[in-house]
Amino acid sequence: MQHQADATTMPGAQFVDPKILARIGNLELLARTVVDGFINGLHRAPYFGASIDFAEHRGYVAGDDIRRVDWRLYARTDRFYVKQYEADTNTNFSLLLDLSKSMSFGSKGITKLTYASYLGACLAYLAQRQRDRVGGITFDSEIVNYVPPSAKHFNVLLHTLDRARAERRGELMRPLKDMSEHFKRRSILVLISDFYEDPDVILEAIKPLRFAGNDLIVFHVLDPAELDFSYTDASSFEDLESGDQIPVVPDSFRDEYRKLIRGHIDALTTKFSEHRIDYTMVNTSEPLDRSLFSYLSARERMMRVR
Amino acid sequence: MSFLTPFFLLASAAVALPIFVHLIQRERKRVIQFPSLMFVQRIPYQSVRRRRIRHWALLLMRCAALLMIVAAFARPFLRQQAIAAAAAGGSRELVVVLDHSASMGFGDHWQRARDAAHAAIRSLGANDRATLVLFSRNAEENMRATTDRARLDAAIDIAKVDADSTRYGPALKLAESILGRSQARRKEAVLISDFQRAGWTGSEDVHFGEGYTLTPVSVASPKSNNIAIPSVTFARASFSGQERVTVSAGIANKGSEPVSDVPVTLEVEGHQIQTQQAKIGANATASVSFTQFTVDRPIVKGTVRAGTDPLPADNVFHFTVSPAAPVSLLLLTNPDRSDSALYLSQALAISTTPIFRTEVVPVTRVTPANFEKRSVVIFNDVPFPSAGANGTLKKYVESGGGLLVAAGDRTTWPQGEADLLPGTLGPSVDRTARGATLGFRDYGHAVFEIFKAPRSGDFSAARIYRYRTLTTGPNDRVLARFDDGAVAAAERKVGLGRVIVLTSTLDDSYSDLPKKPIYLPLVHQLVKYLGQFEAPRSWMTVGQVVDVSALTKARANWLVVTPSGKRVTSAGPLELSEQGVYEIRPAGGGNEATAAPQALAVNIDPAESDLTPIDPAELVAAVTGKATQAAAVTLGPTETTEADVKDAEKRQALWWYLMLAGLLLLAVETVVSNRLSQGERFL
Repeated sequence: MQHQADATTMPGAQFVDPKILARIGNLELLARTVVDGFINGLHRAPYFGASIDFAEHRGYVAGDDIRRVDWRLYARTDRFYVKQYEADTNTNFSLLLDLSKSMSFGSKGITKLTYASYLGACLAYLAQRQRDRVGGITFDSEIVNYVPPSAKHFNVLLHTLDRARAERRGELMRPLKDMSEHFKRRSILVLISDFYEDPDVILEAIKPLRFAGNDLIVFHVLDPAELDFSYTDASSFEDLESGDQIPVVPDSFRDEYRKLIRGHIDALTTKFSEHRIDYTMVNTSEPLDRSLFSYLSARERMMRVR
Repeated sequence: MSFLTPFFLLASAAVALPIFVHLIQRERKRVIQFPSLMFVQRIPYQSVRRRRIRHWALLLMRCAALLMIVAAFARPFLRQQAIAAAAAGGSRELVVVLDHSASMGFGDHWQRARDAAHAAIRSLGANDRATLVLFSRNAEENMRATTDRARLDAAIDIAKVDADSTRYGPALKLAESILGRSQARRKEAVLISDFQRAGWTGSEDVHFGEGYTLTPVSVASPKSNNIAIPSVTFARASFSGQERVTVSAGIANKGSEPVSDVPVTLEVEGHQIQTQQAKIGANATASVSFTQFTVDRPIVKGTVRAGTDPLPADNVFHFTVSPAAPVSLLLLTNPDRSDSALYLSQALAISTTPIFRTEVVPVTRVTPANFEKRSVVIFNDVPFPSAGANGTLKKYVESGGGLLVAAGDRTTWPQGEADLLPGTLGPSVDRTARGATLGFRDYGHAVFEIFKAPRSGDFSAARIYRYRTLTTGPNDRVLARFDDGAVAAAERKVGLGRVIVLTSTLDDSYSDLPKKPIYLPLVHQLVKYLGQFEAPRSWMTVGQVVDVSALTKARANWLVVTPSGKRVTSAGPLELSEQGVYEIRPAGGGNEATAAPQALAVNIDPAESDLTPIDPAELVAAVTGKATQAAAVTLGPTETTEADVKDAEKRQALWWYLMLAGLLLLAVETVVSNRLSQGERFL
């Protein structure tokens, strides 16, 4: 499914076309394909020390914290040993996926929802590999599904993503407000949406998520047709969510439309950056690597802060 | 462009009529589903029927002719941006930040970048000042703030692409400090680069002040196929007493198209050894191995070349190969126990980098001559040798030798040599019941550093059943302790040399350490550290700094000949700023004349080969805190025009051409319409 490489080549995953990925039915296989390939291409390990793997025992020496003494071993051997771990911290990772009807749009083979599911699956896989607790919430105008973060919920989350259908009108304010009450513990929240709202409204909706000290990463998923408005024939355009129809002459609308969508993206970039929220606009015709990079760099920053 | 009599342009409104009639002739045929009409609804809707136009060419011809004649009457002229800048009011401080890193040598990037820099200089008004900052890995203020445009243009003209890597942080910091010092009302920076993603990590702490403007000018090409050689590896083999090396080169294709039949050539000392054809997939790497050659001199210089592309700098890879220098060891053993050297000598035999050449000598037969030219001497549970007495051993260590003492019951140390040991050896402790383990390791020390990461060495498996106590002094460094806190290893530096004492033996008489996987790397680390072994570097990267005296191991002046032929006399640090092979020769008479000449292969940073650009808006947003502060300018490959350098009179002569073209079009239109009108009444 990747490039037909000869024996001496080692292609990187960052060049896997989303349309080709769409042929893989299994989300876990897809996530593994992209993430593992991506990591191979990256030439560095994406782990930042977060795990609870037991590494080894060592003899107790003066100055060690006595709470780390393995008392059961002491009972057996009559000697003091200290348990050592590779690292002691892990974090919650929650995926917030917008299921508004507009996410079902796709002009070139892959819908925004499908792309968002791939992206979410890849990020969740990456998080799970780092021993983070993985969970997620899908929502439109209200919360549709809630998978609480847990080390065992990766497959549940994939199942939820697989079943997700964008069928109803969307709204950000109410579901995000409801969600903010779920996150009691500091988490990495990844919000994937197409953000068809006024930038001020979006920011107002997202703010409560930041209150608990959560690290928020936002992916703005857009189809190339939404960015370029590359239609040629005069037609009636129907709003997927409201059903409203408007006659449009694309040739005369195109420049103005592009200016408006660019302005919208710029406004979001500015506002999110002012509030220290990682914002990435992703085009569904592009590979997933850029999104993964955004996530990895944010994760790395967070680890550094600890 | 502007017009001397712009009111004539009003006449062009007449053209709008047929165009308008043409545009509104549309039929709504189908319904297209679109995610949201949020933006479409904001655009004023214009309706929408239009008449059919049968003769497009004729219509266009008429419109064009009319527009040209109207434009000619309006007297257009190309106005310099400087006038606009002056009209905007107030003096301006401009910093032109020009990227001249190695990647700018790609195709016509450098020419376009210089054109963009000239264009920025041309935009200066009479009171405006500009500074030219050239940057690659570091940034330099090439031309200080001046109003003299000629000097700025000259500085841009003589600037050259260097071989260093790209970093935006230092350049933008320098630009920010220049703008911060200025009293001008408008403070602007123009960043001209190919915007390599590798140059911007996102963690640079650069923030422009309020009111500063940063305009990015990108010269990046959308399709940048590039073949690069990021590294080579060597496989050594010995044949008939001579060392032979097989070179394998890694070839990377950074383009989105696969390439085949790429010629990859190995040259050694200027002679072409072999050429092979490589096939590399898109955005993939391939490996090419060449036939082996003999290393018949102290330094053999080699070069690998791969294909041709618009960025030739990374198609060449220079390297040097030297014969492997074995580390000479003297292992003193007890004549009572013939097998005591078994584990040590076996462990030391399994190493290629470096090769350990071990001579095992019973302690009773050792002579002072045995210590000469040894990198490390190992005492494994032996009494102090009489040959080392009277300061012989101390002299050996002070001159840079390494001494490893694995103390056992047989180990004795005379009082007169006590200042060699890191502490005083005491009686043995018997831990046969359960065995001691290493409870503490100093991971900050070079010996234990490689075991720092989890699962990088399991010391807990080894059991030590007997060890000697060691009381260390205040200047000695304890490297490891047993689980009861007793010293397991300690170090003392004596003169230029190093002494490490292990309080247990390195054979299996006191512990099961030799039977554990950790034994081999531990012994190698100890010997490499004591022998002060440094793997010879076959190549370095542009921008690195070398200490010539440390490299040549002679404190004197050396003549350094750079790849471009420049001669520099240096005895201290030398920055490697060019790609190629640096020759380092003795500068004249004296001790250094007897020292061997050195060669240093220097290559460009492999990150320079990755031309993937960052979105300039992203960089601007990070630096200024605003998403798009100034529209990014992308210069197309064909955008350089000579009209930019014409004087004002010539720029005003444009109306002549317009008038002529308009009249010519009208004449053609007459002929065409006459022909068409033969069959039709109206056009």
